[in-house]
Formats: sequence, structure tokens, C-alpha cells
Amino acid sequence: MPINKDSIPNTFFVATAVCLVCSLLVSTAAVGLKSMQDRNVSIDRKTNILRVAGFTSDEIKEIGVDELFADRFDVQIIDLDTGEIASEEDLKDCFDYLKIESYDDGLVNYDQFKASKSKVEQCAQKEDKALDIAGIKYRENFSHVYLLMDESGDNIEQYVLPIRGYGLWSTLKGFLSVKPDFQTIVGLTYYEHAETPGLGGEVDNEQWKNKWIDKQIFDPNGDVKIRVVKGKAGDDPYGVDGLSGATITSNGVSNMLKYWLGPDGFGPYINRIKSGSSSASINSTGGSNG
Amino acid sequence: MAKQAAAKDLIFDPVFNDNPIALQVLGICSALAVTTKMSTSVTMSIAVIFVTAFSSASIALIRHRIPSSIRIIVQMTVIASLVILVDQVLKAFSYQLSKELSVFVGLIITNCIVMGRAEGFAMQNTVRDSFLDGLGNGFGYSLILIIVGFFRELFGSGTLFGITILPKKEVVDGVAQGWYEPNGLMLLSPSAFFIIGVFIWVLRTYKTDQQEED
Repeated sequence: MPINKDSIPNTFFVATAVCLVCSLLVSTAAVGLKSMQDRNVSIDRKTNILRVAGFTSDEIKEIGVDELFADRFDVQIIDLDTGEIASEEDLKDCFDYLKIESYDDGLVNYDQFKASKSKVEQCAQKEDKALDIAGIKYRENFSHVYLLMDESGDNIEQYVLPIRGYGLWSTLKGFLSVKPDFQTIVGLTYYEHAETPGLGGEVDNEQWKNKWIDKQIFDPNGDVKIRVVKGKAGDDPYGVDGLSGATITSNGVSNMLKYWLGPDGFGPYINRIKSGSSSASINSTGGSNG
Repeated sequence: MAKQAAAKDLIFDPVFNDNPIALQVLGICSALAVTTKMSTSVTMSIAVIFVTAFSSASIALIRHRIPSSIRIIVQMTVIASLVILVDQVLKAFSYQLSKELSVFVGLIITNCIVMGRAEGFAMQNTVRDSFLDGLGNGFGYSLILIIVGFFRELFGSGTLFGITILPKKEVVDGVAQGWYEPNGLMLLSPSAFFIIGVFIWVLRTYKTDQQEED
């Protein structure tokens, strides 16, 4: 044999060559497919937002995800602490850290999970253990809010809020859609979780999701009362049937709603909307009901 | 081993006579994890066939140059690269499925079948034979995955590829519908053990030479 394959030079040569060829292959695939992957992620997110707002998959297919989303939804980034819409200045430090170039870019590409995971103070703050009922550890400073406008584009019909929290095995990520009174639920959907299929995984079940429609969020004292109950909820306007065999996932769902609708989540934003433009919200509620 | 084994034998032997899951009992973990549905089973099968075939072929191509001291690392690198390739392609072209398969695509790297064929076959055989052997072992793995997926989805959810076959018993708007009570156990990992166990039993009853000595 001409080459001694076990010699040291050959070992180095093979190791280097294999690494070069493989890294070339992997990086070509990663870079070449990146734009398609990003597009898939964005379509997936928009589809979920449309679905939670009550659009059927047929409607979405007919008009197209991007078109329908652009036509009906307004996107905002809010400061969760104050509940105000975050200005370009507020967002600057965090966007710099996340390498988001502009405010408009951020409206589309700001990823609040990445912000939460970054654990840097520009983007997220450590959640107090006792208050962290959703098990998120770090809460981002800024969150997306998606506003469903009516056909004319003048009135807000629904607010879609991104929520997440820990279930049994995994963090469930989803969207909650509420009417402008922030009292009536339009829909709840999860787009990412790894709960047990058939048990906790039934959070994806259409029938279970339908049970959320028209449920009430706050009790008369202003506390979050909506929750998943064990067994049947019956006529309880604040309760949704538990998932059988999935008590921990069910509790996770209750807890994340309580967290995200409470003072550490969207509480300040909800209060601002309720007090600031109460007349407008009544009008638009009337419109959507009529 | 013959110099140029017949292509037919290389491909079909691992399916029935020398099935990696049923006879060698390799690659069980992913057979449990991804078989709750047919769509994920089939996707996973295609991914594994691709990876075993091309990793075996690539290893066979450079088998005379691979130093024995780092041969496992070389094999791992080749396999891992191919798996990442599959993962990236899935994410780009079949996003929903890639979400459902989640980490299990990545875990093909640790699937004993892929590594086993690279080390046990491709290091001694030609590119063509190794490629066919990889294909065959991929098929053998797929056969089990698809059988398990078929039973688990049919009896666990009453559907196949998401299409209802056995109408689920449930109450919609106060009206009772369907008659099938889904078997929740089928959706949990132990059911895959049962199905694989029954499959091995049937196979070894039929092909008695596969029975092991006590």
C-alpha cells in the first residue's frame, strides 16, 4: 500500500479533509436554506395568529397568510413594565444586542423568546421565583401585541397576546386572543410544545380549544379568574374542562394565563387600554358583536 | 463476504432476514419516539434511509485512508453532517413535520443502525455495496417504523395520515358521534415495545433460524 494510513501526517490530513468537506456541506445547506426557513417560521407564526383570531384554515388558504395578516393585523411592540407602546429609543439597546437593525425590522423579526433567553438587562429581567408561576425564569422587557382591525381598519376587534409557560415536559408557547374589553376570550392556541401526545398534547385538540371561546377572564374584583378546572367546568364562565390524564399540563395552562394576564405580564398594558380609551373599546366591542 | 454481493440480497436481506430492529434490536429509541403518527414515521424513515445510504457510501469511499485511531470520529463527523443536512432541508421544505419530529431528526446521529453499518460494513466493502447495504438497512428500519406507526395511529387516534378511519366516539354540540374509543396507551411509548415485540415474535415463528439459543 502506497500510503501508511495510520501515520501521523495521514491522520491529520484525513481529519482536516473530512472536517473541511463536512463543514462546507453543512454551512452551504444552512446558508442556502436560511431564507426559506425564516419564511416558514414567519408563516407559521402568522397562521397561528390568524387561527387564534378565529379565521378558518380555508379562509387563510384562500386569501394567503401574508396578505390576510397584512390586511387585518396591526403589530405593536410594547413595554411590559409600563404597558406603553415602546418607542424606538426604548428598544434601541435591546435591538442592538439582538442585532435587529431598525424599528420596522423589529416589528417583524423581534423574537421575544430570544430576548428572554439573552438574560441581559437591556432585553429581559429575572423573574422573582415566588411570582414566576409560569416558570419562564426571565421575562422579556418588550412584547409583541397583534391587533386585529375590522374591515374598515378603524376599530380594534381583538388583541392577540403571545403567552408561554411550563407544562409537564416543556414550555408551551401560544397565543391568546381577547376582545377589546380584555374580558372575553376569543381563542387560545399553542404552536409549540412537547407535552405527551394524547394527554397533555391534547392542548392542540380543536374541541378543547373551542371550549375557550367566550370564557371570561377577570372576576369583578379585577383578579384573573380564568383557569382550567379538574373535570367538567359546566356553566362556569371562568373555567374550562381539564384535560384528562394531564393535570400538570392543565395547571401549566392555568398558571401561564394567570401570569401573563396579571401584573407581571400584560397587566399594565391591559389597564392602560381599559382606562385610557374606554369609550373606544366599548364602541368596537359593539361593532364586533353587531 | 463475497466480492460483489448481489444487489438484491444487499437490499432485501436487512429487511426480513437481518432486520436491524427485529433481529439486531438496534435503533429502538427512535422507533418509540416518532411512531405515534404515520406522517412522522414515514418522514423519519426517509431521513434514516438517506443518512444510512450516504454515510455508508462516503465512509466506503475513503475507507483506505481512514486511520484506525480516529475512524469512529470520522464516521461520526460524516453522519452528523448528513443529519444536519436532512434537518435543514426538512426545516426549509416541510416545516410542520420538522416541528413534530423536533429533536429526533438530530438524534439520528446516535442511531446505532447508522453507526453500526458504517463501522461494521462500509469500512470493509466497496462504495456500491455499502450504499446498497445502507439503503437496505434503512428500509429494514423503515418497515418496522411504518408498521408500528400504522397500528399506533390507527388504534391511538383512529386516523391514518391524519384522515379519520375509525370515527372517534365523542359528543359534538350535544350529539353523540362515532363509536371508536381511542386507546390512549397506543400513543405512549410502551405500546411501541409491545408492537415491536409482537413483530419479532411473528417474524421468528415464521423464520425459525432467527431464534436465539437459550
